[in-house]
Amino acid sequence: MGAGRGKPRALPTRPQYRASAEGGSGADPGGEAGPAWSGVGGAGDVSRPRVSGRRTGACGLLPLPPTTAPNGSSGPSRDSVEWEGRSLLKALIKKAALGGEQVHILGCEVSEEEFRAGFDSSINSRLVYYDLFRDPLNWAQTGEALPGGPLGALQAMCKRTDPGPVTVALDSLSWLLLRLPCAALCQALCAMSRQHACRGGGPAAEQLCVLGLLHRELHGPGPTGALSSLAQTEVTLGGTAGQASAHILCRRPRQRPPLETLWFSVLPDLSLDLQGGPPLESQPHPDPHTPQVEPASHLTFNLHLSKREREAKDSLTLPFQFSSEKQQALLRPGPGPATSRIFYEPDAFDDLDPEDPDGDLDV
Amino acid sequence: MAAAATCGTGAGSTGSMVAAGGKNNVTSFQRRGPRASGSDSSYSRLVSIAGTRPSVRNGQLLVSTGLPALDQLLGGGLAVGTVLLIEEDKYNIYSSLLFKYFLAEGIINGHTLLVASAKEDPADILQELPAPLLDDNVKKDFDEDACNHKTAESNIKMKIAWRYQLLPKMEAGPVSSSRFGHYYDASKKMPQELIEASKWHGFFSPEKSSSTLNIEPCSLTHGYIKLLQFIQNIIYEEGFDGSNPQKKQKNILRIGIQNLGSPLWGDDICCTENGNSHSLTKFLYVLRGLLRTSLSACMITMPTHLIQNKAIISRVTNLSDTVVGLESFIGSERETNPLYKDYHGLIHIRQIPRLNNLIYDVSDVKDLAFKLKKKLFTIEGHSREQCILVALTPAQ
Repeated sequence: MGAGRGKPRALPTRPQYRASAEGGSGADPGGEAGPAWSGVGGAGDVSRPRVSGRRTGACGLLPLPPTTAPNGSSGPSRDSVEWEGRSLLKALIKKAALGGEQVHILGCEVSEEEFRAGFDSSINSRLVYYDLFRDPLNWAQTGEALPGGPLGALQAMCKRTDPGPVTVALDSLSWLLLRLPCAALCQALCAMSRQHACRGGGPAAEQLCVLGLLHRELHGPGPTGALSSLAQTEVTLGGTAGQASAHILCRRPRQRPPLETLWFSVLPDLSLDLQGGPPLESQPHPDPHTPQVEPASHLTFNLHLSKREREAKDSLTLPFQFSSEKQQALLRPGPGPATSRIFYEPDAFDDLDPEDPDGDLDV
Repeated sequence: MAAAATCGTGAGSTGSMVAAGGKNNVTSFQRRGPRASGSDSSYSRLVSIAGTRPSVRNGQLLVSTGLPALDQLLGGGLAVGTVLLIEEDKYNIYSSLLFKYFLAEGIINGHTLLVASAKEDPADILQELPAPLLDDNVKKDFDEDACNHKTAESNIKMKIAWRYQLLPKMEAGPVSSSRFGHYYDASKKMPQELIEASKWHGFFSPEKSSSTLNIEPCSLTHGYIKLLQFIQNIIYEEGFDGSNPQKKQKNILRIGIQNLGSPLWGDDICCTENGNSHSLTKFLYVLRGLLRTSLSACMITMPTHLIQNKAIISRVTNLSDTVVGLESFIGSERETNPLYKDYHGLIHIRQIPRLNNLIYDVSDVKDLAFKLKKKLFTIEGHSREQCILVALTPAQ
């Protein structure tokens, strides 16, 4: 019902993003059989749990070019305008359907008509919709509802998917989280990916992508943290001055997760329009509150030398400073203890008289 | 043996008398004590298991954690019969790497492995283990590492300490034939034949605990009960607790439990503040009891950053023996801090056990940071003043 719109975090496609990053080098970042479940967000954010099978080799699901948007603002510059994620979710669904994948949708928060609005008929015919909005507890006993409540609905969705690339969209994880224990939901999501992988039959066949919408304001840090730890790509929607941005965090098993921000907008026909950077007029100023940390600034001793001090230091004669020949002679292992040499370097205060070397002796 | 050696040099006659007397068994140089059947090396009563060594401080049997730098911080290694708890970093990158090092060390030493996870299949975890660094490659890698590191410094001729130019560079690398603590190349995978030759048991929680029972509070969740039963069965059947006396060669059981406490185990400790807060602590208590009575060592990784109730974290710390926390700099403001620019994260040694001892075996350097170079995981002490940079030499 549009409840809880808020700071969204959403983000686009992980697969394409990944393809460009890896270049199909055979690395298997997404290749774990476990749930690659990404995304979380605030009200209206799209989280996109992706579960991919082994070594799928990122063939892009959604052809979004990976751009590295300038992430210049270090200070929080979020607007108060709420960013809705459902439109982004629908845009992603549309792209998935156009790409020929099966799309299964579990609709809990809005009615089926409202959800299907905006898709054209060809796409609508391809979406498999499970409606939990009209009659979640199956009071009408019509017989077409899924048994077992929301958890049963999740498991049934998984069983009905044919092998092949599948996108599952959960219209609202928040709805599920409010009705199911969080641990059970996490386990069900992981089980979905695994069962799909088992039935896939081949490595390229199982490619399950789970998209979920999470309203961040409705949940405490616990459930959101737990879900984001399962997620493979996490997307936060935000924006400035009417321009929506998506802050992407893509976890990869053995590498540091890259953080990126993309600016986008969803057009009325539910296609995504990516912009390269933030609009000019809303360029945030560099945050003056985070200066470069100078490590030697708060010490009780002085580590810096002034110019005069440095000159004095360089011109100082060290007590054991020998000429370089003498140093080399000392460093080189001599020809044995049989020949012993005496090295004498006259000091500044020595007064050598070559004719009378013992002149200074008081004998 | 010692007696024979000391009198052997004295006079050959006594030696011959011993030899002659040995046949009649009437000599005074009789060795008392039980004799192993047919074994002539009966004097060695120490338990010599592959991959272990006694601690230099108190003789406690230690195994390597797979990371020699961490071994040194923990006082030589992980004691057999104890639990090492790793508090995961936020994105679970480095803690899973430590977990894999632990398992890889077990494979190299020939220990039996028990891998438990709720997220990944243990077979898949074992496929991802890092490859050990072989001795001849190791020196090459270290030399080139040292060269890269020291090129800037070697060009400056030393003015005061010029005699040190003669000394060889300090070997910060692995000893060529180290039988305790090996180095691993995180970019390569362990060869398949080593994995197949090893003995391992896997516990994958979603497969084993299929039913979702409703349990009463203050009791263990289903996944934990199953895991404890599994561990107990393995310990008993394979004789790690001495229950099968016909076993001739003792071995160590390395238990690795990944992501304990996460919602995938059925535990809601990470989701709510007032959940079943005793399940995890009971599990650790029972686990420690199992470990103390068997020749096993356990490493657990736990996402403590997700646990909402901070009191539980302190209880968990008390119930574990050694606790090491990892904090990575990814995504935090420390990433741009010039103090930390060489490092990938901080290591906090939160607890070290006192086993048969009155004092702790704590290292002197408290601020420790780690970095993952392309092949190696190094731990160094760092300090805010940046004047003191102590490099812990991994070789012992």
